[in-house]
Formats: sequence, C-alpha cells, structure tokens
Amino acid sequence: MKLYVCIKQVPDVDAPIQIKNGTLIQDTDRMVLNAYDASAVEEALVLTEEHEGEVEVVMVGPEGSKETIRKALAMGADKATHIQTDGDVDYNSATYAKILATFFEDKEYDIIACGKQSQDTDAGLAGSMMAEHLNLPYATNAVGLSIEDSNLIVKRQGDAGQEIIELPSSCLVTCSNDMNEPRIPSLKGIMKSKKKPMETVELSDLDIAEEDIKPNTKVTGHMEKPEREPGQKFEGDPEELAQKVANLLDEEANVI
Amino acid sequence: MSTLLTHIAISDGKIKRSSLEVLSRMHQLANEYGHDTEAVIIDEQPSQYVDEVAKYGASTIYTIENPIFKNHRNTPLLKALSAVMDEANPYIFGFGSTEGTKDILGALAANQDAAVLSDVSEFDLIDDGISATRPVMAAKILSENEAHGDQILVSVRSGSYDLNESQTDAETVNIDFSIDEDKIQSTLREIIGADSDKIDLSEAETIVAAGRGAKDEEGQDLINELASTLNAGIGASRALTEAGVMDPSLQIGQTGKVVSPQLYIAVGISGAIQHVAGMANSKVIVAINKDPDAPIFDIADYGIVGDLYKVLPPFIEELKTIKS
Repeated sequence: MKLYVCIKQVPDVDAPIQIKNGTLIQDTDRMVLNAYDASAVEEALVLTEEHEGEVEVVMVGPEGSKETIRKALAMGADKATHIQTDGDVDYNSATYAKILATFFEDKEYDIIACGKQSQDTDAGLAGSMMAEHLNLPYATNAVGLSIEDSNLIVKRQGDAGQEIIELPSSCLVTCSNDMNEPRIPSLKGIMKSKKKPMETVELSDLDIAEEDIKPNTKVTGHMEKPEREPGQKFEGDPEELAQKVANLLDEEANVI
Repeated sequence: MSTLLTHIAISDGKIKRSSLEVLSRMHQLANEYGHDTEAVIIDEQPSQYVDEVAKYGASTIYTIENPIFKNHRNTPLLKALSAVMDEANPYIFGFGSTEGTKDILGALAANQDAAVLSDVSEFDLIDDGISATRPVMAAKILSENEAHGDQILVSVRSGSYDLNESQTDAETVNIDFSIDEDKIQSTLREIIGADSDKIDLSEAETIVAAGRGAKDEEGQDLINELASTLNAGIGASRALTEAGVMDPSLQIGQTGKVVSPQLYIAVGISGAIQHVAGMANSKVIVAINKDPDAPIFDIADYGIVGDLYKVLPPFIEELKTIKS
C-alpha cells in the first residue's frame, strides 16, 4: 500500500501574534507542522503498520521548511518530496491544489491524505480541489480511518451525524485532528530521519509556470479582532448569584 | 445585471438557517448593486421548501429533484451544483458554511475554475469581485480578502447575517438531473448518530456547553436539565469528548463546531483559545466556573465564580420560574 500525505508548514497559532500596518508578523522560529496534517501522518503510519506499505510526505513550501518535513520523517514516514517554492509568493488553496495535483499526475498510490484545513488560514479547500483535479473519489473531515478489502473506510463528521463512507483505491481523504494524538518523534526517530530520502523538486521540474498558478484571491490585510469586553463577574453565595444572573439574562440581555 | 445565487442546504428535512442568512445578505446586495437574487434547492423533494425560500427575496428558485439527495453525498451534489452553475451562470454563488458545504466547495471551485473564499464572516461586492473578512489563526485575528473573476464562490459562517424577509413571486425552474449510481465510486454505508430530536449546534439559538468540570454523572444530569429548561443544544469542550463522556460531534472549538447562538452558557469550561475560537461569536456568553482566574471570564458577559454543583440547581429553578 502506498500512501502519500500532503503536509504544510504553518506559524504556531499559540505563539504571540503581531500585526503591523495590516501585515501579519510571523515568528519564523515558531513554524510548525500543521496539526491537521500531523493527524493525517499519524493515521497513515497506523494504517501501514497494520497493513504494510509505505508513507511518503509531500510538502509545497520555501527552502526554509525542510525542518517540518524532517518532523514527519522523524514520526516515521519513509520518504519525502519537497516541492520548493519562492517564499515571497502568497499562494492560496487553489495554487497549492494545482501544484500538488500536477505532482501526483504521474504517480501511483492507493491513498492521498492531508489535513482537512491548515491552521493558519483555516480555508479547508485544497483537499477537495486536489481530488477534483485528479478525478479521485474523496471524503473530507475524517474522524476515523480503516482498511477493508483494500477499500478505505472513512468515518466523517457530517451535518446529520457521522457518515461511514467506503472509498475504492485510489482515493483522497482529508483528516480532522479529532481522531488521534500524533506521536512525538523519539530520539531514535529523529536520528533516523536524517538518513531518510528527501527529494527536492522545483516548480519548473513539474512544468508549472508562475502564471499557471497565479492566485485569484488575495489577502489584503490583517486586523485585530475586536475584543469582547469582559462583562460582570459575580462571587458570593451560589444561590443568590444563580438567581441574579438568571434575572439579568431575562431582563437585561433579553435572551430567555 | 448579474446573478447572485444562493445554495439552500437541507439537512434532516429542514432548511439550514445559515442558508437563509446568506440568501438575506445576497438579496440586500442584489438590491444595492442592481443584481438578481436567485436560489437553488437540491433535494429528494425540493418543492416542499420553495415557499419558505421565496420569503427571502429570490426571484428565481432552481430545483433539482432526485432520490439520491436524501443524504449528503459529494459526487452527486457536485454534479448537481455544476449543472446549476451552467444554467444560472451566477456571478456570485453563496453557501452557508455547513459541513456539507465544506465537503464540496473546493471541488466545485476547481471544477468550475471559479475563485473561492470559504468561511467568511462578512462579504461585500467590489469592482470585479468580492471583498470578505475571514477569522484566521484559530480565529484570533481577522484577515481581509478579495476574490476576483467571472464566477466567485463564497461560504459564510453561520450567524454572520440576520434573516431578512422579503416575499417574492418567485419563478420555479426545475433542472433535469440524472446520475448513474453505479458510476459513483464512493459508497455511503450508514449514518451514525443522526438523531432528529437533537438540536443542531451550528444553528442553535441557545447552547449549554459542558467542560471538564462537569464530567461525572451528576454534572451531566445538571447539564441535560439546564439544556432542557432552555430548549438548548448541548455542546462540549475537547476535554469531555476526548474523555469519552460526550460524543465527538458535540465538540465546540477550532477542531469541532463553530457556533454563534444568541446565548452560550459555558459550564466548567476554562476557556482555552481552541474552544474560544468556536464560540466567541455568541451574542451573550455566561460562564460558570469555580476558578476566578479562568480565561473564560475575560470574554463572558456574565460570570459566576462558583461550584457548578451548587450554582446550577438554583439557576435551573430560577430559569424555570422565569419561563413559566
């Protein structure tokens, strides 16, 4: 079984965020593997441990993102491809999807997995875009994966409940981070990752010209979210407070 | 004059409120800029929803009827949406940001070569496109975006716009649609936990959410009683779903559902940023927590510092009195 996992390097959302003149200042020392992609890597490793096979991670990103690829290799992925891009260009989901779909055009695989969204933009579009470009059956927002008779069984969170979907090989799945706790690389894993194969590919190697992937959406600025003002906080006798707040909800907030 | 088209999502036999919110906004923009408001209903029996949709300003309502739309399935839905876009040629195609939408939006954009902005909290028309605001970085900051092109898809977070009725004499246009089920490669085996009595959190007016502080049986009983008193949906923090106390589908937060009710009561929830990302847009927030320094109090309109086991019983009694 051959699994590819598409990963992305993102700024740590827990790090302090600065906005200067509408521009988001990212702390480049705190770039991390997208948490949803880490869940996809974990799930791919579990599937190949149970059913044998190979996990290859693929990342589109600038030169400085190799450390994030090493993280996935240290978790246990067998090999990696780094599709190296110009770090100054603002790609959108459609761009990532086109680059990755072009990469996969001449590849053979059973499953392509990726996170359901990336933590920085929360767009959640690239996975199904890629599936459409590659004409693959797909499922998004997986909260559980298993293999049965070489088909991928996806439990996904839908509007009306959890849907169990059976996908034939080859297929694509996007993963929620609700379904596992991605393993933390061991020291041995980190040492081994340095010897694992990592191929670097340029966009020109994929016959992609910059004008082919010109984004049709753009981010024009960032701003602080208007903060909620802390309201009234009460301490004291529970019974009195409970009655007081219930009445405030009725008479002041008017939401009862 | 161009067409502003809205997808009307149906789930469990009900129109998703978020779809009507988007339709209301589209109608407002169409009036302002001189465009047409249209809507599409894709369902096993779409005609039953036409009258309701006509209340929100659509002049043309497309319907696609097929038994395959009884449940959400991405392949037929994509095919139907592509057919609607061929027929209506919308300039802007709006969606409520439901789980069903999230499943197909990227694929539809790729299929139609359309620009797309997902999960926006505000949008407006500009020359040659739309501008939109999106919460990003775990909803800690807002990004301003533009999308340009002949066709633009946009999905809008639930609760971003109010419903605004504007009755029309809508023309209904049925679009022929057929699909060979044998050619659909993915199979929907079953749906688990589809409970028609359960209140859909992403649409709920009132939500009672339980955290680690309410994980034992007594705590759960109190949560259930409070929710039942207020006819509220029940949500949970990640701590509770991971502990297996509550179903993962009830998790609210960055990795779970994003909600925007009128009233959100957080019981025994400390207020980690991942949780806040999913509920900060609630109109009124009540927090009940015994830790006076819990971050949830920083965003709560009404905070009660106290033990939930002592606070909830009189709180429920008082609410019952008010309701009666």
